[in-house]
Amino acid sequence: MTIAIDPMQTGFVGEVSGIDITRPLSQDEVAAIEAGMDRYAVLVFHDQALTDDQQMAFSRNFGDLEVTLAGEMTKPEERRMANELGDVSNLDHRNQVRARDDAKRLYALGNRLWHTDASFRATGAIYSLLSARAIPSAGGNTEFADMRAAYDALDDTAKREIEDLVCEHSIAFSRAELGFTDFADAHRAKIAPVRHRLVSTHPVTGRKSLYLASHIGGIVGWPVPEARAFIRDLIEHATQPQFVHGHVWRVNDLVMWDNRTTMHRARRYDDMNQVRDMRRTTIRGTGIDVEQAPAPATPIAAE
Amino acid sequence: MAIAIRQITPVFAGEVSGLDITQPLGRDDVAAIEAGMDRYAVLVFHDQRLNDQQQQAFSRNFGELESTAGGNITQAQDRRLDPYMADVSNLDKDHKPLARDDRKRMFNLGNRLWHSDSSFRAVPAKYSLLSGRIVVDKGGRTEFADMRAAYDALDAATKIEIEDLVCEHSLLYSRGTLGFTDLTEDERAMMHPVRQRLVRTHPVTGRKSLYLSSHIGSIIGWPVPEARAFIRDLAEHATQGQFTYAHAWRQWDLVMWDNRQLMHRVTRFDDTQVRDVRRTTVAGDGLTVAQAA
Repeated sequence: MTIAIDPMQTGFVGEVSGIDITRPLSQDEVAAIEAGMDRYAVLVFHDQALTDDQQMAFSRNFGDLEVTLAGEMTKPEERRMANELGDVSNLDHRNQVRARDDAKRLYALGNRLWHTDASFRATGAIYSLLSARAIPSAGGNTEFADMRAAYDALDDTAKREIEDLVCEHSIAFSRAELGFTDFADAHRAKIAPVRHRLVSTHPVTGRKSLYLASHIGGIVGWPVPEARAFIRDLIEHATQPQFVHGHVWRVNDLVMWDNRTTMHRARRYDDMNQVRDMRRTTIRGTGIDVEQAPAPATPIAAE
Repeated sequence: MAIAIRQITPVFAGEVSGLDITQPLGRDDVAAIEAGMDRYAVLVFHDQRLNDQQQQAFSRNFGELESTAGGNITQAQDRRLDPYMADVSNLDKDHKPLARDDRKRMFNLGNRLWHSDSSFRAVPAKYSLLSGRIVVDKGGRTEFADMRAAYDALDAATKIEIEDLVCEHSLLYSRGTLGFTDLTEDERAMMHPVRQRLVRTHPVTGRKSLYLSSHIGSIIGWPVPEARAFIRDLAEHATQGQFTYAHAWRQWDLVMWDNRQLMHRVTRFDDTQVRDVRRTTVAGDGLTVAQAA
């Protein structure tokens, strides 16, 4: 059995076969996956019945794991899993479906907005790996958008205009967009905006991408409303159907994506009556792409 | 020369010829335009050298004019135009483009979001009529999306789910989305949310449409983030390419649209250049739903 990667209908998603990622990997297998990630940006592995430990072990082939922000903001006794796993389910720590007005549910609805994981950290994130343990019977797809193709499709004037722009990202911006402002004072430091270049260059392939996310609340040097209107236009451009792939989940799918070259979002499903248990590991970013501001320069509150 | 209407997209929008709307209209002409509005939802008239009085006179053929009061943050002494002309330009009262960080410019950037005019009023607008006095040659298009076609394309389960939903609309929400929160107490009071049905039925054609707008901030009975995520999904559905028409302006175009059946927005342009477009608005004739006590 040797690893093979075949393109799915949208060119930037590869379907991987011939590998069991619940077992330790050889160096060649790791290299093949990394090369696949550089080429495609999203890889889909089917029928991988991972435990949490196996998912973490597989993920560590690609770097250090980050502790998710939602995990950091959840009391230890209310967590369902290890700190290095992002709980992308609709369940509470008793494995019950969260109530409609549960603050954790409302916070998690931010995943319905296009974003890149951890763009609100100065170092960003490299890969995310999402394992489907239980899925709803309808809805709940994850959509991906190829930020390299979206960049390539911009006209030359737009490319010149954005080349050196720097954006401010905070989890508070995406949540405020949905009217969620319920952050504890103790977490204020975690939601302070960080800066990233709008145009990023992939360290291996050298391809340029739009580094977009709903976490963006401002562009350094621009009036806030002008920045937000412009970023909305760019996101709309970058998520046109020709740049987007919708992943329809099967139980035990593991999907990994490069946050430096894609955006993604979850779609709606009946989360009051159906269980969706997805667990995410995230490969921590290793450097900053632009000098950080000494203090928040953009007001966080919306409304 | 008789009035004729040519359909622009496979779904909606019509281009009108054979009519000089700077002159008083006959009853048959008015009836033909109203029938065209019911059918196409947006009508384009070229080469109409309107002044403000003529634009208002033409607009009054279709109902009472809505006052612009309550829909903007411009102080009376700073207005360029009379109270029944909505100033959709990028100009101050000295006819100079607004400075980059001017509050009015920040506020007007909200027009870049899909919306329906005056959905933030308890009695929302019927028609809007926009006259292109000075236009830019690049960008600054007005895009329209047909909310009847968007409604029709929903699946049956969604139609059932949304049939009786009621949304809250306010300028606070659309401006909050862009991070414009620099408002006085009086302005906040002016922007008190109103309620509108999400599904409207046209009084003449009986067709249903989605009554969407970036002014929506919540759905009655829903948690706010869930409502906003859902409204975003609906707006994304409703503004897909097949439901939209992008109007590239020529000077002296007059474009009129039915706010009960469409959303619209302006696209970005270099606003150091002058864009002078002026809107009259025909008032609606009733609530879409009872208001909160």
